[in-house]
Amino acid sequence: MIEKEESIISEEEAAQYDRQIRLWGLDAQKRLRGSRVLLVGLRGLGAEVAKNLILAGVKGLTLLDHEQVCLTGCSRDLMVRVDQLCAQHNIKVFCGDVFGYHGYMFSDLGQEHNYVEEKPKVVKPKTDESNDGPEAKKPKVDPNETTMIKKTASFCSLKVALEVDWTNEKAKSSLKRTPVDYFLLHVLLKFRTDKGRDPHPESFEADATLLRQIRDDVLEAMGLSSELLPHDFVSYCFSEMAPVCAVVGGVLGQEVVKALSQRDAPHKNFFFFDGMKGSGVVDYFGPK
Amino acid sequence: MVTLQLVGSLRKELADSLSTCRLLVVGAGGIGCELLKNVVLTGFKNIEVIDLDIIDVSNLNRQFLFQKKHVGKSKAQVAKESVLQFCPTANITAYHDSIMNPDYNVEFFRNFMLVMNALDNRAARNHVNRMCLAADIPLIESGTAGYLGQVTVIKKGLTECYECQPKPTQKTFPGCTIRNTPSEPIHCIVWAKYLFNQLFGEEDADQEVSPDTADPELSWNPADTETRATASDQDGDIKRVSTKAWARSTGYDPVKLFNKLFKDDIQYLLTMDKLWKKRKAPLPLDWPEHQKLTCPQGVTGMGLKDQRVFGVAGYCQLFSRSVETLHSMLADKGDGAEEWIWMGNCDDPPAMDFVTAAANLRMYIFSMNMKSRFDIKSMAGNIIPAIATTNAVIAGLIVLEALKILSGDVEQCRTIFLNKQPNPRKKLLVPCALDPPSANCYVCASKPEVTVKLNVHKTLVLALQDKILKEKFGMVAPDVQIEDGKGTILISSEEGETEANNCKFLSDFAIRNGSRLQVDDFLQDYTLLVNVIHCENLEKDVEFEVVGDAPDKAPAPTRSQEEGKNVANGNKESSEPSTSSEAPAEQNDILLVDSDEEVPSSSTMAVSMESGGHKRKLHDAETGEASAKRQHLSQPSADDDNDIIALD
Repeated sequence: MIEKEESIISEEEAAQYDRQIRLWGLDAQKRLRGSRVLLVGLRGLGAEVAKNLILAGVKGLTLLDHEQVCLTGCSRDLMVRVDQLCAQHNIKVFCGDVFGYHGYMFSDLGQEHNYVEEKPKVVKPKTDESNDGPEAKKPKVDPNETTMIKKTASFCSLKVALEVDWTNEKAKSSLKRTPVDYFLLHVLLKFRTDKGRDPHPESFEADATLLRQIRDDVLEAMGLSSELLPHDFVSYCFSEMAPVCAVVGGVLGQEVVKALSQRDAPHKNFFFFDGMKGSGVVDYFGPK
Repeated sequence: MVTLQLVGSLRKELADSLSTCRLLVVGAGGIGCELLKNVVLTGFKNIEVIDLDIIDVSNLNRQFLFQKKHVGKSKAQVAKESVLQFCPTANITAYHDSIMNPDYNVEFFRNFMLVMNALDNRAARNHVNRMCLAADIPLIESGTAGYLGQVTVIKKGLTECYECQPKPTQKTFPGCTIRNTPSEPIHCIVWAKYLFNQLFGEEDADQEVSPDTADPELSWNPADTETRATASDQDGDIKRVSTKAWARSTGYDPVKLFNKLFKDDIQYLLTMDKLWKKRKAPLPLDWPEHQKLTCPQGVTGMGLKDQRVFGVAGYCQLFSRSVETLHSMLADKGDGAEEWIWMGNCDDPPAMDFVTAAANLRMYIFSMNMKSRFDIKSMAGNIIPAIATTNAVIAGLIVLEALKILSGDVEQCRTIFLNKQPNPRKKLLVPCALDPPSANCYVCASKPEVTVKLNVHKTLVLALQDKILKEKFGMVAPDVQIEDGKGTILISSEEGETEANNCKFLSDFAIRNGSRLQVDDFLQDYTLLVNVIHCENLEKDVEFEVVGDAPDKAPAPTRSQEEGKNVANGNKESSEPSTSSEAPAEQNDILLVDSDEEVPSSSTMAVSMESGGHKRKLHDAETGEASAKRQHLSQPSADDDNDIIALD
C-alpha cells in the first residue's frame, strides 16, 4: 500500500494544506504526499475513506471495485488472504465495514510499525542561556517547545484477531469488558460468506431469521451464550447508514493518515462504532 | 413478532419524517460541508443553509464541497451547488448572510423542525441558542478543533442550554505585561498586533504600545500610580501623543520608528528600575548601520519557506520593508482608511511581515527565542489547525442525534466527545447524559437575572451596551430600562434614539449601588434583569465583573500545534467572517480542554463539558494516568451507561 518517495511541498500546497500542517507537521505532510494507497470497495464507507485520503493529500489513490474482491465489503476469507499476502510484502492493511447503525475498522500495520509522538519538552532551569522565558528558574513544561519521541507498535494478522479462543477461563473473565460488537462482526461476516451479500431490507424477515440462526451457531461454536447478542440486534444492521459511514470513514481515514505519516499512536487493532449509543471503542483482539 | 418496515436502514415512520422535515444548517464550513453531505445522503429533503463567509484557499484541505475555482465565492451558495451535483432532488436554500441579521427572527426559526449549528464563534452560538429557545426548536450544537470534537443536543426545558454553564472568556493579558514586561512570545505578538493597529489601522485606547507609567508594579502606593499617570499626561510624555499622529509626523520613516520603539522606549522602560529587580532587563537595539540588501539567510532545512527563523538584522530589514509597503498602501487608500482592521487570518502578507518583524525584534530585546513567520502566524491569527476526518466524524454524530430527535427519542440523545486516543475505558467516542437546565441560567431560567459589579462613576452607557450587554451577555440589540419607578429608558435599540446617552456615565442617570436594569433583546425574545453593585476597587484593566461567574478553570493555553489547552472550534468572539476578523487571543467555544494534571501536555486531553466546568473530566488517554476524579467516576459495570459521567 505504501511507496515512499521524497516529496516537496510547493507554496501553493503549503497554502492549501496550511491548517493540517499546523496540526500534524510538515514531515507528516511530506510522507502523505509521497504515499500511494489501494482502496478496495466504493460503497458508502469506501467513498468516505476516499474523500478523507484525497483531502489529506496522498500522492495516489487506486480504486478497485469488484464484487468478489473487496476490502470494504469483503468476505472474511478474502480479507484474511489479502491481509496475509500484504504481510509478506510489508504492506499495511486496513479493513472496515458498515452494517446499519454499526461499523468497525481493523488495522494490521505489521509486526513493527514505527512512529513518532510529539510531546512537550520539560525545560530544566537555565541560568545564562536565553530561552522563551527570561524568568525561568524552575523546571517547567515549556508549552512552546516540543520533542519527538520514537515508538514502535506491533500488530497481529486479521486471522489471528478473529480466531481468539473464548473457551479458556481467562478469556471468559475478560468477556465483561469486551465489546459485543466483536461478536456481531463475526455474525455479519458469516452471513456475508453464506449468502454472498449483506442483510437487505427487501428480505428483512428471512434475513433477520437467518441472522439469529447464525448468531446461535457462531456463539455456540465459540463456547459462549447466545444471550450475548440480544434478540433485537437484527433491527440495526441492515444497509449502510450514511452518518455511520461518515463516522467510521473518518476514523478509518485518520488511521490510514497516521500510518502513512508515521505520526501518533495508531489504534490497536479494532475500532467499533455503535450508532445507536454513540459510543466508539478501540479494543485489541489477538495474542498478548 | 413485530413486522418492521425498513426504508434502507430506517424504520418507515422515521424515513417519512425525514422527507417532510425542514432543517436549518447554520454554517457551511468545516462541519457544515460534511453535515450537508450527510443530511442529503440520509434522506433529508428540505434544507436551508446559511453562512456569511466566502471561500478561502486554506479551507480546501477539508471543506470538500469547495474547489480552487470557488475561492472568493459564497460558501453557502457553492455548498448548495456542489450538493446538488450528487443529489439533484434535494431542496436546498442557501443564504449568504449572518444568522444574527434581524430578518432571521423567531418566526423564521419556527419554520424549522430542527436546527444544526456548524459554527465557529461564540457570539453566533449564543444567538442561535436564544433563538431556538424562543422558538422552542431542538438545536444540535457541535464543535471541533484539531483531532477533538463534540456534539450535544439542546432542547428547551429538557436540557441545559448553550449558556447554562458559564464559559471562560477569552484570555487577555494585562496592559502592563504587553507594554512593559513581556515574558512570553505571545505578549510580544499581541504588542506587535496592537502596534499594527496603532500605525496602520484603527487606533484603540485599549491597545496602547508605549511604556505604561501607570504600571502598579512601579510603586507600592496606589495613590502614587495615579499621580504618575496624570503627571505624564501633563508632561506631554510619549504616552500623550497618539502613536499614529507621531508616526505621521515622521512620514512613517522606518528608522525613526525603529529607534523610538526598539531603542528609546526600551531605554525609558529601563528607568523604571523596580520592574527589573527580579527580571532580566531588556536590551535596547541599535539600527544596524551596514545593512546588506540581499535576502536574509535563514536557518535552512527541509521546512517551508515560512518556517525559517532569521537573525535580528534580518528582522530589522523586514520591519523596514513592511513599514514602507504598508505606509504606501495606507497612502493609497487615502484618509478614512482606518476601517482597515487587523486581518484575523493574516493572509495579508505585508501585515504579517510587519507583525513578524516587530514581534521578533521585541522578543530579541526581551531575551526570548525568535519565532518563524509560520509560528507567529499561528499565534497572531489564532489559527486553529483543522482536518477533514474530525469534522466527518462529528457531522456523522450530529445526524445520528437528529434521527433520535425525529423518532421522538430525545431521552436517547447524548453529548458525545471525540478524543484523540481512547480513554482508559477504551472509548474513543464517549457519550454522556445530557444535563437538565440550570436553575440560575441567565438565559433560559424563567426570570433570568444577573449581578454585575462596576464603578457607576466610571462606566459609560456605551460601555454598558457594547462590552457588557453585547459582548458579555451576547445580546444583539438591547433595550435598557432603569427600574427607578419612572421607567427611564437608558438605551434604545432604535438607531439614534439614545445616542446622546452613550458618553455619559451610569451615575449620571442616578444609577448606583443596588439599582436594577431591565434589559430586553426583542429579536432574541430575551429579558434579563441586571442588578448593579457599585465597586471602586476592581482589578486593574477590569471594567466589570459578573458575580457568580465560574473562575477561569483553564490553565495558561499551550501553543502546541495539535489540540492545545483551550481548544475550540473557532477562535473568535465575534461572528465576522473568518477572512477578516479581529481575532482576539484565545477563545473557548464548545470544547474546552482542561487538565487535571499539573504538568500540561499536548497529549493531555481532559475534556470538560463546555465550560469552566469541572464536572466532566475525561482524561488523558495517552498516558493512561487516571486523575482523582476519573477514578471516582469509573466504576465498571455491565451497563454501558456507566460512562455517563455523573455530577460531582
